Amino acid sequence: MVENLFLICAIFAFFSLGATLGLLTRGHKYHSYFTYIPSSFASFLTITLSLIIIFSESTHLTFFNIQHLFDFEIFIDGVSAFFLLIIGLISFAVSIYSLSYSKKFDDKKNNSALGMLFNVFIISMVLVVISNNVFFFLIFWELMSLTSFFLVIYEHENKNNLKSGLTYLVMTHLGTGFIFASFILMYTQTGSFSFDSFRDITIIPQHVKDIAFVLAFVGFGTKAGMVPLHIWLPKAHPSAPSNVSALMSAVMLKIAIYGIVRCIFDFNAVDGSTDYVWLGMGMIIIGSISALVGILYALVENDIKRALAFSSIENVGIIFIGLGLSIVFAAFHLQALSVLAFIASMFHVLNHSIFKGLLFMTAGSIHYSTHTKNIEELGGLIKKMPWTAMMFLIGSIAIIGLPPLNGFISEWLTLQSLLAVFQIPSNILQVSLAFAILAFALTIGLAGATFVRLFGITFLSKGRSTKAVNAIEVPKFMLIGKAILASSCILLGILPFIGMNLIVSAFNLPYMSSSPFETISITNTTDSNFASLMMPGVLVILASVFVGVFVVVRIIGGKTKTIKYGTWDCGFGNLSEKTQYTATSLADPIRRIFGVFYKPHNDIDVDFYTKENSYFKKSIHVISTTKNVFDEKMYGKTISGSLFVLNKIRKIQSGKVNAYILYIMITLIALLLFVGFGAHE
Amino acid sequence: MSDFSMLEYGLGTLQALLIIVLSPLIVGVMRKIKAKSQKRTGSGIFQPYYDIIKLLRKDEIVSDQSSWIFRYTPWINFVSTASAAFFIPVFLVYSPFGVVGDILLVVGLFALGRFFTMLAGLDVASSFGGLGSSREMMVSALLEPALFMTIFVIALFYGGTNISTIVSSANDMSILIVPGVLFALIAFFIIMMAETGKLPFDNPSTHLELTMIHESMILEYSGKNLALMEWSHAIKQMILFTLFVDIFFTWNFVEQISLVGISIGILFFIAKVSALASFTAFIETRVAKWRLFRVSDLIAMAISSSMIGVIFFFL
Repeated sequence: MVENLFLICAIFAFFSLGATLGLLTRGHKYHSYFTYIPSSFASFLTITLSLIIIFSESTHLTFFNIQHLFDFEIFIDGVSAFFLLIIGLISFAVSIYSLSYSKKFDDKKNNSALGMLFNVFIISMVLVVISNNVFFFLIFWELMSLTSFFLVIYEHENKNNLKSGLTYLVMTHLGTGFIFASFILMYTQTGSFSFDSFRDITIIPQHVKDIAFVLAFVGFGTKAGMVPLHIWLPKAHPSAPSNVSALMSAVMLKIAIYGIVRCIFDFNAVDGSTDYVWLGMGMIIIGSISALVGILYALVENDIKRALAFSSIENVGIIFIGLGLSIVFAAFHLQALSVLAFIASMFHVLNHSIFKGLLFMTAGSIHYSTHTKNIEELGGLIKKMPWTAMMFLIGSIAIIGLPPLNGFISEWLTLQSLLAVFQIPSNILQVSLAFAILAFALTIGLAGATFVRLFGITFLSKGRSTKAVNAIEVPKFMLIGKAILASSCILLGILPFIGMNLIVSAFNLPYMSSSPFETISITNTTDSNFASLMMPGVLVILASVFVGVFVVVRIIGGKTKTIKYGTWDCGFGNLSEKTQYTATSLADPIRRIFGVFYKPHNDIDVDFYTKENSYFKKSIHVISTTKNVFDEKMYGKTISGSLFVLNKIRKIQSGKVNAYILYIMITLIALLLFVGFGAHE
Repeated sequence: MSDFSMLEYGLGTLQALLIIVLSPLIVGVMRKIKAKSQKRTGSGIFQPYYDIIKLLRKDEIVSDQSSWIFRYTPWINFVSTASAAFFIPVFLVYSPFGVVGDILLVVGLFALGRFFTMLAGLDVASSFGGLGSSREMMVSALLEPALFMTIFVIALFYGGTNISTIVSSANDMSILIVPGVLFALIAFFIIMMAETGKLPFDNPSTHLELTMIHESMILEYSGKNLALMEWSHAIKQMILFTLFVDIFFTWNFVEQISLVGISIGILFFIAKVSALASFTAFIETRVAKWRLFRVSDLIAMAISSSMIGVIFFFL
């Protein structure tokens, strides 16, 4: 208990030290060390604290009271600790990465603001998950939103960044509004702002509970980037410096998931009543749509960071599918399946943090050495930046859910819980959940295509511009930061029980936790083996097959030479980098198949030598575009509609004194009438 | 989990080796049947073995544009595909390695190999590779839902995604009487044709860039690497054929381990797979290559067929 308090104080002290030193040592040669070494210390302590709490009991501390209304209470149970672990792990890696990465901004502008905001941003996220009171939760939530807003517009010379920052600011406050409303509604029932009272209360009318759920879900969902409230995400995440993008995508989205888990699973233990089926189904539907929409946009995106941001939407969708399934199963008293779906969802939370942090840091490295985020200008980087390429490859394999890395485990668990829907005693739900499987499977397939395209175009073949040709490998701290997360991907993939045990003891789930070398097994209703997976065994098989085939090839084939020669060029010679497939053409078949969604459009401009002869073309200029349905149809219509109404309202404010006197008259008469009628009753 | 004896593990390894070793034979049989039905003599059924051995002994030419991805992809592809063979029952009703992974793992291992093959296609900086990868991206992305829906139907009817569970309960039931399974069979057949690059989807026997998907990705390979690529493609086809006969035609599995029983089991297995291979080859001689953008219609048919299977189960 005392050690934990000491640890918490140390965490705050180190983060504050980083923030202060970041401001004070502005322009110093070792500025980045002063800023990011304390934050990496603090992150390391956060990991320690969370592990202590996960494997022991919860910590409950009250710091100070202001008239008993706003107790600042620190409450760390397993749920908080699990998310603290995510914050700690990712910020640790990102802090080390930033030691070198922040040098990018050294000569450009004031680097101190970045370091200060970086530290404050992490500390605000830590505070959000450990506060136990509506008031402080919202204050820190707001602090988190605002610091991240300032980080998004950090490179404010670019007008686009300012615009996306504004979108972010509006959308995040819309979300906060919903969260606020949900908490106020709970307050009207409990009469207290403390989360303890939310937890303890038993008698809340069902409809109030439902409304509170929906409000909280919409509010936190906005922050998590669920479709259709996602439009800020692909704008804001790429605009920020890459170390911050990594934090935003890998950690901040998970804080929103934390909010949902707290509100739905903790405050109102969702249990055996079919009243909650609609909530679970709603989450599954929104999750499936988010997953599909996110990955479809990621597939055609040419900006590498935007593509990664879209893929975050996809992964949040997968997390929602797991959470929703958990609720639906619980509603039908299928306890074991509910736990399975919940583990799947939380495992995906952990995994997505790790590989998305890794991928954003890699994207930052690419930007660091090539100064471009457009993959059409890249290519051939695997020879210039071999280590970065390796990390990106590991991240890609993990995120598209291929064995033997961690993404496979969580997607396998999610799919297994989806396949178990036949145990739900309702035909309508069974058939509609079959469609969720369809959406989920399509998402996985498209994710594979997306990352083939991102990796292939960025790292393989010839460089498509001088920027890519002149690229060099990034400094070693950036590589170390990425290597930490890459090795976590491998470790969690090969020994998934490390992650599963963590989740089981953090959330106190009724699930057998066992040694890391165990088999994950799911039994059928008749107790036969429905499915099982033993990753260490898979690795043994892979290794022995490799050894076997190596020996066979050596015995039959013997020693042969390898000759290096140019790529086959059909005899024309001199293959140029222009003849390669581009990112756009690579995605073209899928773009055509899903034409209804993308609405692809080619503007073809042909220039002839002479007007009369249309066979000899001088040049052909093609601009290929896709439309973003959500931006244009939904938000565009909403914005133009409200502007129209507001313009009408603006006529009231004419600036003529006599008009204002008229308004006063009308108001007076209205008030008199109101009072007059009021007096009658 | 029941513990298996060393003998059973040995038999399990034998099952995997059967798939790996016999896979080129099935390719040869299919080529022979296609040749015969086109009134050609065709090469012998052992020709694929000679090809592989010949290629293994040849020097190889590697593009100077390529990276380690290109050079190690054949190994990764072969290892992941051949490892999948360990989970497939061949003459026993189970695989002793079945505990280690289920059908989703097999799908994942295939996808791993395909992921690297697509990257290798892009690695050589020629437009052929890109063309193949681009088309493969589309086909594989669309196949995924069809595949998972079919697995869902099979898991519903046979109570699991563990292949040993599926095969043993399929063995207990009488075959093909349930309409849902029949629809799953149609879907699985379409998926099998697409995954192995068979005719309405892909025409691997031409070297015309307009028709090919798989071939254009591996166009730059030569020598040892080409041998590994070809062999792993054959293994993948063999695994899918074996799964097909395991799930839908469950005749004569060995219940009691004895030398005679196993020999009969192996013979039956070879007969079943050859029959399926002949049927597939026959279909291939009867259809033309479909336009690339019509391939999605065929896959949509597989998806709806398996969806009907799901509905049949819940009715």
